[in-house]
Amino acid sequence: MRTDPDLAADAARGNEAAFAELVRRHQARVRGMARRLTGSASSGDDIAQMTFLTAWQKIGTYAGGTFSAWICAICWREFLQVRRRTRPEIEFDETAEIIPFERPGDLQDERMDLSRALEKLTEAQRVCVVMCVAAGLSHREAAEATGWPLGTVKSHVLRGVETLRKHLANAQVA
Amino acid sequence: MREEETFEDLASLFAAEDRALDAKPFVAEVMGKVRRRTRLRRAFLIGVGGAGALVAALQVPSLLGDWITVDNTIVTAISTAQQQAGLLASTNPLWLGIAAMVGLSLAAVATMERT
Repeated sequence: MRTDPDLAADAARGNEAAFAELVRRHQARVRGMARRLTGSASSGDDIAQMTFLTAWQKIGTYAGGTFSAWICAICWREFLQVRRRTRPEIEFDETAEIIPFERPGDLQDERMDLSRALEKLTEAQRVCVVMCVAAGLSHREAAEATGWPLGTVKSHVLRGVETLRKHLANAQVA
Repeated sequence: MREEETFEDLASLFAAEDRALDAKPFVAEVMGKVRRRTRLRRAFLIGVGGAGALVAALQVPSLLGDWITVDNTIVTAISTAQQQAGLLASTNPLWLGIAAMVGLSLAAVATMERT
């Protein structure tokens, strides 16, 4: 099986089939991340699409390393752009302990316990948990993508996971 | 290698959710947009390239006019050089021989010094 960097190099030369293979491999991770960040399946998929279109334009700038970290960093930037367009009055604050972002949510979507538990986290915790636990990025990769200090990311992951487990346990009991 | 905890139990729950997503329609939609963008980009490049070629083609007559002037200068320089070569041939062969010997000697010395 061809590696991600090989496929990316081919895609940078204009090979659409190689890029399609990269989309196939990483779509679940990116869609999952975008859906969890927005709290909506349709908005999440829109952001995931924009992520891959931006990746196609900038594939020449991929300089090795983990492809999933590179694509997730693009996804994060796309999410921030959409967020600024829709809610320009709220600046992202990774130290906030409240949930400042009104998450639209697809009311028609059947919510799983996991999604509901994610909504109980602060936005910064949710971002860090989504990146480091759900998308599988290392703390360092998440810190580089978000521009937040490594210690802050670690702390948000630990607290977020703790809260997530507590809510999941409560949901199972109920 | 990752040093931090990966929280396997939660990670596997998220992964199960992600695996349930249908890849085909999403990949098809993304690649459709990628192809449309590529076609648009190609059409734009061809358009701009064609316009550039047209502008260049319009400049050809004036470029040729300039070249004719350059051509005249070269022809004049060659004919002057021929005249001077004719003057050289009419000089005393003895002096030409002496000049050749001096030139060869200087060239030999210069070559030896470089090595």
